Amino acid sequence: MFRIESDRARFREIVRGRIREDLRRYLSTGELIGRAGNRAVSIPLPQIELPRFVFGENPKGGGEKGDGEKGDPSDGEAAEGEGGNGAGDSGGSHILEVEVDIEELAEMLGDELELPNIEPRGKKELSADGGRYNGVRNSGPNSLRWFRRSYKNALKRTIASGNWDPARPRVVPVPDDFRFRVKKSCPEPDSSAVVFHMMDVSGSMGREQKEVVRIKAFWIDTWLRSQYKNLEVVYIVHDAVAKIVDQHTFFHLRESGGTKISSAYELCLKQIQERFRPEDWNIYPFHYSDGDNWSARDTELCVSMLRDEILPRVNQFCYGQVKSAHGSGQFKKDLDAGLGGHDLLVTSLVNDRGDIPEAIRSFLGRGV
Amino acid sequence: MRLKSNLPAALKYHAVVIESAAREARLDFFDVVFELLDAKDVNGVAAYGGFPVRFPSWRFGMEYERLEKGRRWGLSKIYELVINNDPTYAYLVRSNSLLEQKLVMAHVYGHADFFKNNLWFAPTDRHMLDTMGLHSTRVRRYIDALGQETVERFTDRVLSLDSMIDPYLPLRALSAKAAPPRKQTPMSERALRSLEAVSATPFSETDDEDDTAPRMSGLPTYDILGFIEEHAELDPWQRDVLRIARREAYYFAPQRMTKIMNEGWASYWHSKLLTGGILEPSEILDFADCHSGATACPPGQANPYKIGIELIRHAEALGEDIFQLRRVHNDVSLVHKLVDEDFAVRFLAPVYLPRMRGRDGEVPPDVTWGDLKTKLLQELSWGGLPQIELVDVDSEGEGELLLVHHHDGRDLQLGRASETLKNLEQLWHAPVHLLTIEEKQGRRLVCRDGEVSVLDTREAEKACAGEGAGESAA
Repeated sequence: MFRIESDRARFREIVRGRIREDLRRYLSTGELIGRAGNRAVSIPLPQIELPRFVFGENPKGGGEKGDGEKGDPSDGEAAEGEGGNGAGDSGGSHILEVEVDIEELAEMLGDELELPNIEPRGKKELSADGGRYNGVRNSGPNSLRWFRRSYKNALKRTIASGNWDPARPRVVPVPDDFRFRVKKSCPEPDSSAVVFHMMDVSGSMGREQKEVVRIKAFWIDTWLRSQYKNLEVVYIVHDAVAKIVDQHTFFHLRESGGTKISSAYELCLKQIQERFRPEDWNIYPFHYSDGDNWSARDTELCVSMLRDEILPRVNQFCYGQVKSAHGSGQFKKDLDAGLGGHDLLVTSLVNDRGDIPEAIRSFLGRGV
Repeated sequence: MRLKSNLPAALKYHAVVIESAAREARLDFFDVVFELLDAKDVNGVAAYGGFPVRFPSWRFGMEYERLEKGRRWGLSKIYELVINNDPTYAYLVRSNSLLEQKLVMAHVYGHADFFKNNLWFAPTDRHMLDTMGLHSTRVRRYIDALGQETVERFTDRVLSLDSMIDPYLPLRALSAKAAPPRKQTPMSERALRSLEAVSATPFSETDDEDDTAPRMSGLPTYDILGFIEEHAELDPWQRDVLRIARREAYYFAPQRMTKIMNEGWASYWHSKLLTGGILEPSEILDFADCHSGATACPPGQANPYKIGIELIRHAEALGEDIFQLRRVHNDVSLVHKLVDEDFAVRFLAPVYLPRMRGRDGEVPPDVTWGDLKTKLLQELSWGGLPQIELVDVDSEGEGELLLVHHHDGRDLQLGRASETLKNLEQLWHAPVHLLTIEEKQGRRLVCRDGEVSVLDTREAEKACAGEGAGESAA
């Protein structure tokens, strides 16, 4: 009867293989973003169904729309963005959505980019909230009564008091016999991490630059999520001033104006000091910009702030410079000159989308 | 009920009551065996097309995954499954309420009667449960001998083509032979034969002596799978897998051709039997809820249960002999015979008018009830699939196949058609041509060495226009 389970296993194997094949493409397009829930990503796989002769409109056609069968993107590019399928007339083509656990996706990413697992710094034993009901005590609510223990006690008492009659094995418990379960808190090694994504949204950062940042941020989050039980993400945007925003705003905001990078670093530092103390958190700030800063003095300030305040507190600080038409790309040079060789600082340069996998590898390749 | 069944006594009691009511109502069926399964396992059976065992393919696993997701999220639920077999097997879902079980059982007797008596099912293999088991064993043997990848690549190809059959062929052949009613071989002999088939070495050409679906070697033919099986250069195991797939396709074909009738017939009878004295008064309300759920018809969607039951009732109101109708018709011919203006306005308009609305939200003023009927017929014809015929072989000296798509106003999805052609070319080991029409423009798709090119051509328009043969075979 349960042969179907092996067919399902085979299906899942095929799906995983297909995703693995396409991973490089996913790494440089935004296809998977917006498809990620907390635990799983749903990935549209148009090409996995067996092909058949079916009715349907053909992509280029601008003719009559009467029969309303949606086209199937099997011979063209995969559907952009949400790519869902509307309610069809006669259940024609549909894109298959497969769910893949974030962890599994991260594993594929790790394999593809040969990323080492992260060793959380500092072994902190924090009493986690959970705990299990495996303690015992003499009083408690009936809902937690431990039948087995209570019965044993009653049995022991009955035998000890000489009332035990194997022919009539009756055991009557008295209140003293009862035992109750109690929650024991079990200390668990805590593994919390916080990611700061800081992005320059000044006028020179265009749509393409932001898309690159978006893709990078998605994969970095995916990887770190697989490494830490509890991952917080803080989004900071800055031009001349910095502020904390939600995810949506982070990726869609379009500001213009000057650029003062130190404002973002200051805000990040403040967050670390107030909310994410380094003793309790693994901290990963990422900063993306096109490399323009307002003044050399502000850059100096950034360098000294990194050296004296931020780097000592974080696991690693990553700066990703995205090439833009207007940016001078000066900031990376300044960082490398000012802090070159610092263990915890990684800088990378992305010229176009093809460089994204390499940039991710340089950020996450150290396993710290 | 002489066969083993795991029904609890309470359900067994109701099964007996309903069965005798069904017989009293002149329904006529093979023995029906009910099995009680968990919802999860029912999904497994459903993914195999109603069978507990089938040859391995990830495609069934994919279907299972889809059904399971639907069940876990509460989006879809399977009430019942019934297999066209002698005895007729039906699966009940353990989590259903008693009322639902009664409804399903009555429904199953309707299906069982339909399977046994409808003409289109006459040529089907009535021991398909055993046959599927044999098929599974054979394919598993090939996998053991040749490796999963090799066999899978081939089954994928074959499954991609399994709609390329002529659904009218088996019945035509049966009536041509005017065969004496098939003798039921005794159980012991059948068991012996299955044993032989299982213990045969995988590479010996396992020949089925009782091939229910006869083949034609002549052209033109819609039975493209049969043609390939007979004439393509294939390894013995490949030919056998092809034969398996083709046989299963022919087994399932009548179900596609009679979806509306079959569901309509079963719904008609579950309603009639249950409200004819089987239900407790306290159950009537729940029954009505459940029944109207199954026959609900959201605007713009065709529900075969709804259209089917209304067709049967319509026939009854017209004074037709519904038992005779269920014997000789399929969906197309029944709709053709019965749908009149009254029916079209009441039951087809809600389905098709919403789809005909233009940009302004208005239905074009010149739509008649005949248009509605035509729409429905078009959806039903050829089992709802594009009608593709093999007309010639080797006409250009490359050993190539020439296929013609009989165009009925709906275009093929060319991307998927190209992929399908590639699979056909792989089986045939020579180029494959397909004539079709896209956007009123004739096209010739040529698949050679795994590449498809699309050429414009005038000849396609002539070849593809007009009705195909076959449709009037009954």
